[in-house]
Amino acid sequence: METEIDNKKPGRKVTFIVLISIISVFIIYYSVMSMISPVRKLEQIKNEFGAKTAEKSDVEQRILMDSTYLKLLKEKAFLQSRIVMAETDSIYLTLNLADSTANIEISGVVVHKAKMKSVKTSKILKTGNGNAILSMLATPFTISHAFATIKKEPVMIKMAPKDTSEYKPDIMPDTSITEPVNYILEMNGGIRIYVYQEENVKLSDKMSHLSFDINDRLRDTWSALKRVAVLKVPEYHPFIKIRLPRTDAKIIFRAIPKNGQIAVFN
Amino acid sequence: MENEKIINEGTQPENEKNSAGTNPVNDENINMSDKALSQKPKTGKPLFTFFRSLFIIICSILITCSLILYILYVVPVLNEFSHRQKSETTNNQELKKDLLYKKQISLLTKDIQRLSLKFNAYTSGQSYIVVNTIENRFFLYTNKKLIREGFCSSGSYTMLQTSGNKKWIFKTPKGKYWIHGKTTNPVWKRPDWSFVEEGSPIPPKDDFSRYEYGVLGDYALAIGDGYLIHGTIYKRFLGMPVTHGCVRLNDEDLKVIFNTLNIGSKVYIF
Repeated sequence: METEIDNKKPGRKVTFIVLISIISVFIIYYSVMSMISPVRKLEQIKNEFGAKTAEKSDVEQRILMDSTYLKLLKEKAFLQSRIVMAETDSIYLTLNLADSTANIEISGVVVHKAKMKSVKTSKILKTGNGNAILSMLATPFTISHAFATIKKEPVMIKMAPKDTSEYKPDIMPDTSITEPVNYILEMNGGIRIYVYQEENVKLSDKMSHLSFDINDRLRDTWSALKRVAVLKVPEYHPFIKIRLPRTDAKIIFRAIPKNGQIAVFN
Repeated sequence: MENEKIINEGTQPENEKNSAGTNPVNDENINMSDKALSQKPKTGKPLFTFFRSLFIIICSILITCSLILYILYVVPVLNEFSHRQKSETTNNQELKKDLLYKKQISLLTKDIQRLSLKFNAYTSGQSYIVVNTIENRFFLYTNKKLIREGFCSSGSYTMLQTSGNKKWIFKTPKGKYWIHGKTTNPVWKRPDWSFVEEGSPIPPKDDFSRYEYGVLGDYALAIGDGYLIHGTIYKRFLGMPVTHGCVRLNDEDLKVIFNTLNIGSKVYIF
């Protein structure tokens, strides 16, 4: 018996080594593929929105890299976006990352202003090819998906009484309930806007934030793993992460239509 | 293979002795001492096996957790470092003297001025009201300045459902509206849902029971599709989402709004 058991040990060792090697190779492969994804995304943005530098003269190319020029171009792009959205009668959001404000506008009228407490953007949006990113930001984004901890429309179903004896007058709604507000707005073009409530005082708020964040990471990882498994580079989503007071975050989420538009000034 | 050899080498002399069978007493002693020897590792081995298994399990859990954490948290961070930073040229005096540069900058500045003017023109200099249905507050503006703000009540987001599967949803519509009409001492013509909500039978269209006086306050401003901005007898509910879609205000605010807004004035609801 002892001979049999001891015979298995080298086999186990080999299996263990093989398993560790496979996992290590996969982790390296996954990491490399993930690191390639932002580069691919930037290339995609450049191809779609970038200026054709080959056709430009040296001075023109230098102008395209000049900070004063780019700053003015950003301002123009933002105004253009706002005007495009103002032409519609819809409610839309404008994010000015430079002065940390988030505004809700309807037909060019600012109806609500919120001050962002913190802003974090992905490097692509900050330092990627200035001209291409600017051109991308010149057109408003449209929300394609939203993941949130609160409902867009908090509809309550009430069954009608069969007769007057069953009728009960409405009770005063409980406005003291403060549910945690965290959401992700995924735009066309893959950009994601993460909005987190600023208040994380209560344990329930922290837990909600943590579970929301883990869910998002799991969702992302799962889709990346699926792509990597078929030898495809995972999709990269440039992001803007902002923290807002809970009420402002809630107002923005509920005010903007399901497929609403957003303009970003970076 | 090495282990096999060692074990085989250890067992062989014993077998040889047994087959010779020369000294039974000594053999017994040897067997006794062998038993004692073989018992020693048997008591230590389960404990060792247990700790070894525990160690392996803990290591496996730690490795799995590290892998998950690496994939969930480290890989996204690596993503952010994977592309090189492209530097912008700043304060290039030589470039700033260039005629083409100057022309481009002047063109851009003109464009921005033109667009700013266009954008600012969207905000009317006339009076308008903004209704925030999430916080149940209103803001009245004249000449682009806030002149009054206060609480209001908006749609409750209640869906009234009958057993016959008829549905009404009580929410205030969002977007851009304007004042279609202004009424003093408005009379409320109760719609069907008002009777369904109470469990009463629905009367004919122009039945007298449909008309209620004094419940909408002193004034009402129609914003279209049957929605009104009006007063209320339920003042304690102001600041809460309790209405069937209309915007309710208190008497003083309603009077100011009624006197400030004209037919055609904009109403922005979000």
